[in-house]
Amino acid sequence: MNTRTLAGALATATMLAFAAPAFADTDLKIFVSSQHQPDVWRKVLDKYEAENPGVKVAIETGGNTSEAQAQYLNTVMSAKDTNLDVLMLDVIRPAQYAAAGWTSAFEGKDMSVYLPAYVEANTVDGKVVALPAFADAMFLYYRKDLLDKYGITPPKTWEELAAAAKTVAEGEKNPDLQGLSFQGKAIEGAVCTFLLPYWSQGKNLVENGKLTFDHDAAVTALSLWKGFVDEGTAKKNIAEVATDDTRKEFQAGSALFAVNWSYAWTHFQGAESAVKDNVGVARLPALGSGEQASCLGGWEWGVSAYSTHQDEAKKLVEYLSSEDVSIFMAANGSLLPTYAAAYKNDEVLKAVPWFADALQVVETAKARPVTPRYNEVSEVIRTTVNAVLAGVTTPEDGASQIEARLKRILR
Amino acid sequence: MSTTSTLNAARPADRGPPAWTHWLDLGDRALAVVLLAPAAILLALIIVYPVLRLGYTSFFSLSLTSGLPAEFVGFENYSLMLEDPVFWETTWNTVLITLITVPGALLVGLALALLANLPFGVQWPVRLSLLIPWALPLSFAGLIFAWFFHSEYGVVNDVLMRLGFEGIIWFNSPNWAFAAICLTIIWKTSSFMALIILAGLQTIPRSLYEAADVDGAGRIRQFFEITLPLLKPSIVVALIFRTITALQTFDIPYMMTGGGPGTSTATLAMYIHQNTVSFLDLGYGSALAVVMFALSMCVTAVYLRAIRTKE
Repeated sequence: MNTRTLAGALATATMLAFAAPAFADTDLKIFVSSQHQPDVWRKVLDKYEAENPGVKVAIETGGNTSEAQAQYLNTVMSAKDTNLDVLMLDVIRPAQYAAAGWTSAFEGKDMSVYLPAYVEANTVDGKVVALPAFADAMFLYYRKDLLDKYGITPPKTWEELAAAAKTVAEGEKNPDLQGLSFQGKAIEGAVCTFLLPYWSQGKNLVENGKLTFDHDAAVTALSLWKGFVDEGTAKKNIAEVATDDTRKEFQAGSALFAVNWSYAWTHFQGAESAVKDNVGVARLPALGSGEQASCLGGWEWGVSAYSTHQDEAKKLVEYLSSEDVSIFMAANGSLLPTYAAAYKNDEVLKAVPWFADALQVVETAKARPVTPRYNEVSEVIRTTVNAVLAGVTTPEDGASQIEARLKRILR
Repeated sequence: MSTTSTLNAARPADRGPPAWTHWLDLGDRALAVVLLAPAAILLALIIVYPVLRLGYTSFFSLSLTSGLPAEFVGFENYSLMLEDPVFWETTWNTVLITLITVPGALLVGLALALLANLPFGVQWPVRLSLLIPWALPLSFAGLIFAWFFHSEYGVVNDVLMRLGFEGIIWFNSPNWAFAAICLTIIWKTSSFMALIILAGLQTIPRSLYEAADVDGAGRIRQFFEITLPLLKPSIVVALIFRTITALQTFDIPYMMTGGGPGTSTATLAMYIHQNTVSFLDLGYGSALAVVMFALSMCVTAVYLRAIRTKE
């Protein structure tokens, strides 16, 4: 007791001596994924610091992909590190964090203000485990100039897309122009690659926590992509292509169509883009007469269970997840809002006009399976997609492998 | 004995011995124990404890994503492993990488060492170029070679195409991807072999070669009769180190292929990393690590036995 009093006195004396008015200073550390505009988030945080004297927020970034960031955060959190207070999490992770007890719940939070998909993604066993940061979904980007030249309308089905690619390829005779770029590398994006045509057939992977794997639909989905490679719609080395490779290829003008997240738009319209003002965005095509399905993305704010500033961290997250910030990040960082009304906001539409059509895509996008063991689910799907595209496994064997391995994970 | 007497002699004669020195009046045995204790404790803390703890954890079902507390399951993790096709595939890949890259690095390393031992006028550029691959971090080497072997932008395909061959999509086929990884590992590790062998070469007395010259032995005869036998100890040491690191291969395939296509180039170390760091299945990951530890111990034992019979 004595030493503690002494330490307290010393600390107080030091504070008085060096930082006269700044007692009760709170230093928060927030993890932001480096690919999602940390510098624009910094502006938001500067505003928060100005409105809340005594609170300082530092940004930490690390890793350049969702998987790399997850590995880093897994290490930090399993060590029960108190260093990070607030974590930006990929939409697929809140369930895992909740199961591991790594995030603190937001008691009594009214979630009805957000888009329904994000209410679902952030609620685990009736508890709100994180709040939405921004929305995302996969889109079909296309070369407006080339489609116009050949009088083609944006495809509504994958079959139309293949036909359009063929027409343009025959007309252009440009060996550097590929029909379609998508993610074939064994990364998170490849999970969506598999699910897009799978979902389009009206099938789900998991329903009420139970595996509802449809083998035939999976074979059809894998065959679609393998067919694109074999017919030359996609290039032969598609198994090497990651999300940002797709972005770079389209941006360099070497792809007619591209499947990608919303972040790509800003790059396509950037100064160093070869396709500036020639880019169209549409809903992803359907398989035959199926529905047009997109993969739900987006990132969430969680408060670390090991943070020593629980109340301050939650207050900050409430702010970061507010409608004002959502609008600001849409207008200044091209991040899709998690509030329906924000898609009609003038400020947003002036900066990113295509967001007007994006709401429908986000609202109809499907979520990847919500399970604490998502990392394992993801690994099974993405390595199989990769193996099928590389020609190591047939679509039939690939579908059987996914089924067998998922059964063990989701038993 | 000598240690104690020296210490006693150093004692100032006028004053009595300071109280703290009484523990120095120990017998040789006790003194040895005392002197070895710090190192032994340190090793116990940083090696013995983690290894024992690893073995202990491997008998538990401990997954951070399950939300359940750790539960003792006996050998369940090990029996799961036997049925796990990815375990067998990654183990086989690891053994294959070891069988290909260890002899490969030995041959290339031996050639490099002999080359570096030639009487060049200026020695340092040769020595430096031997050191650079060894000093380069493994993950950098992996990244650099991933670009070299890239099917579109890589220099390897560029050279192949200039020579009139067709470019290879290296990472699209298990065999080519495996070949690319093995070439990279051999490049990266042969300089380590070369450095150890070079040190061995320089201990061989020149007079032996001079005598051989007088006796009329040719260059090749000299190599097999003098150089190689005298290099054996260095080669065995280099092989032990190289084999153990080969069994732990992680960085280069991780950076180059991430184990792909599919899981066809994943190693056991990558599978352990995936299960612990990514899946947070610490029980199963520990069991896998125990297997790798046992594998490394077996190889070390074989080599140590080989050296002992030589003596």
